[in-house]
Amino acid sequence: MSTTDGPTLVPDAQAAQDAVNRESASKKAGPFQRFGDRWNGLRRPQQWAFLLIVVALAYALPVLDIPILTTEPGNDWPITCFNMAIFALAAVGLNVVVGYAGLLDLGYVAFFAVGSYVAAMLTSPDSPFLHIPYLWTVPVAMAVTMFFGVLLGVPTLRLRGDYLAIVTLGFGEIVRILATIIPAMKGQVGFQNVGRPPGTAADGSPVFSNSNGTPWYWLALTIIIIVLLLVGNLERSRVGRAWVAIREDEDAAEIMGVPVFKYKVWAFAIGAAVGGLSGALFSGQIGFVNNQKFDVPTSILFLAAVVLGGAGNKVGAIIGGAIVAYIPLRFTAIADYKYLIFGLALVVLMLWRARGLLPARQRLLAYGRTAYQRVANRDSGPPTAVAAEEGDAK
Amino acid sequence: MTLLELKNVSVRYGRIEAIHDMSFSVEKGEIVSLIGANGAGKSTTMKTISGLLNPSSGTIHFDGEDITGLKAHLRVMRGISQAPEGRGVFPGMTVLENLDMGAFGRKDRSGMKADFDRVFSLFPRLAERRSQVGGTMSGGEQQMLAIGRALMSQPRLLLLDEPSMGLAPQFIKQIFSIITEINEQGTTVLLVEQNANQALARAHRAFVLETGSITHSGTGRELLANPAIKEAYLGVG
Ligand SMILES: Nc1ncnc2c1ncn2[C@@H]1O[C@H](COP(=O)(O)OP(=O)(O)O)[C@@H](O)[C@H]1O
Ligand SMILES: [Mg+2]
Repeated sequence: MSTTDGPTLVPDAQAAQDAVNRESASKKAGPFQRFGDRWNGLRRPQQWAFLLIVVALAYALPVLDIPILTTEPGNDWPITCFNMAIFALAAVGLNVVVGYAGLLDLGYVAFFAVGSYVAAMLTSPDSPFLHIPYLWTVPVAMAVTMFFGVLLGVPTLRLRGDYLAIVTLGFGEIVRILATIIPAMKGQVGFQNVGRPPGTAADGSPVFSNSNGTPWYWLALTIIIIVLLLVGNLERSRVGRAWVAIREDEDAAEIMGVPVFKYKVWAFAIGAAVGGLSGALFSGQIGFVNNQKFDVPTSILFLAAVVLGGAGNKVGAIIGGAIVAYIPLRFTAIADYKYLIFGLALVVLMLWRARGLLPARQRLLAYGRTAYQRVANRDSGPPTAVAAEEGDAK
Repeated sequence: MTLLELKNVSVRYGRIEAIHDMSFSVEKGEIVSLIGANGAGKSTTMKTISGLLNPSSGTIHFDGEDITGLKAHLRVMRGISQAPEGRGVFPGMTVLENLDMGAFGRKDRSGMKADFDRVFSLFPRLAERRSQVGGTMSGGEQQMLAIGRALMSQPRLLLLDEPSMGLAPQFIKQIFSIITEINEQGTTVLLVEQNANQALARAHRAFVLETGSITHSGTGRELLANPAIKEAYLGVG
């Protein structure tokens, strides 16, 4: 029945059933799962308090230079933190495409590249184009990448899953090749002195500089939090449910009244915009953009981050992105083998936990919630999982 | 009154024509069965009516309006709902979530309670299993879920693609008596089957489909009594 019979990262029914069972029965199932259960068991204020601590720790990360964790002396720790944030942000965006809508995008780096180039070409003195303040390039980069997302999505999203994967793979390369052959994009020479946010410190030096990763990290983290809130809202909305339905069975979704094509394009465009956003931040911090950084393996790393974290789980994507960025910077001796190592790690992970570190199970009971509750109450018998689930989800 | 009318509809997959110049209609309140062997074009017909496939020629009218070019998700809003072949339930969603998806296109939330009640009273089994994930249910349960989900959009025309496929005989009887019940509650039903016995016995009218064309038509009873059809589709000499 399904026409999305391309490669898929989608969890199977048994895994989903396990997740439902765990939610209702709180069975023992590994450290991460238990965490999820406990989390759902907490009351609202406790959840907030916990979140507050996590957020505070996240902001403190570049300052807390913990001996075992640190990447120094090889790599500057605050800059490492910034790189982790960039990958985490990109993974959150790609997770919308791959995790929610189930569209396999192997060329996500293209959107990252477009965002980087937009920021560079609108701020660098090497660029002949009009110049705008750096912070303005952020929304512009998002709009431009979103446009490219739609441009790529409209002709390809009608294709079956495996064709889509191939087309996106090609798109990833096209952007890099265009950057090489179009004179205005300056190939390997690239753009120096990409802009930065305003502000000077007490000693007259700029707050945001290429050598100081901390302010950049804080900026990126703030953006991640905003994006998370927005994506979380989408996930719980009608749109989120439509994406899951499309991921599970495209034709069935269509005959339930889901405008499948439209929602796929939306997923693609939103994912693209977030990718462009992280690209713009990246080029601002590095201060330099050329055609060398946006290759296929980077796309695969983004995808690995999503799968590692648990496709469909935004928190998982953040963790996955951070890990993928962190490992090669921490263990510089093995950095040359990072693809080999991530490849092996993914194989092992898929054998051990096929759905990633934080498996997703979205709560889809949104639209008819009140109706269910009444139905559930009417049916006698113990107030089972559903009622409890409803209460939690509220 | 005519609810659905196909006029000279042909459907192709690339160069292969799966449906050739097909015309038939379904009246309001009827159960109409389309029977045919494997590969006759039954599913193609259903997908063309629900909008998953577009005809290469011909027109489809629903409730007097031309819906030939209308997208599938918009046909649901008009009142055409399909329980697809092989059931097509969302494997990772629970029974409740599946049913909720069935109401995706609806604007009126308030009316949904009545529809949950209706589905659960037609299929008490689904009420028992409401937290079970679709993909782990038995074939018969998935079929119930697919039909129940299709009812959640309050269809005026219910399309059922081989509802008895892969089911044990006692389940088949049960599914068909529920289909009759749904019809008696006021929903027009168009169903396709290989398993002709029940499909003909329950139908007001029926058509026989052979390699993309209708070859016989009549009331369910007439076709049941037809010796050629008996031989070909009912497994008796
Ligand atoms: N997606 C497809 N591409 C090409 N041919 C198809 C496709 N789907 C069905 N067909 C062909 O169309 C004919 C009718 O198929 P179908 O409508 O599925 O038959 P039925 O449901 O009666 O078994 C068959 O010959 C089948 O091989
Ligand atoms: Mg069929």
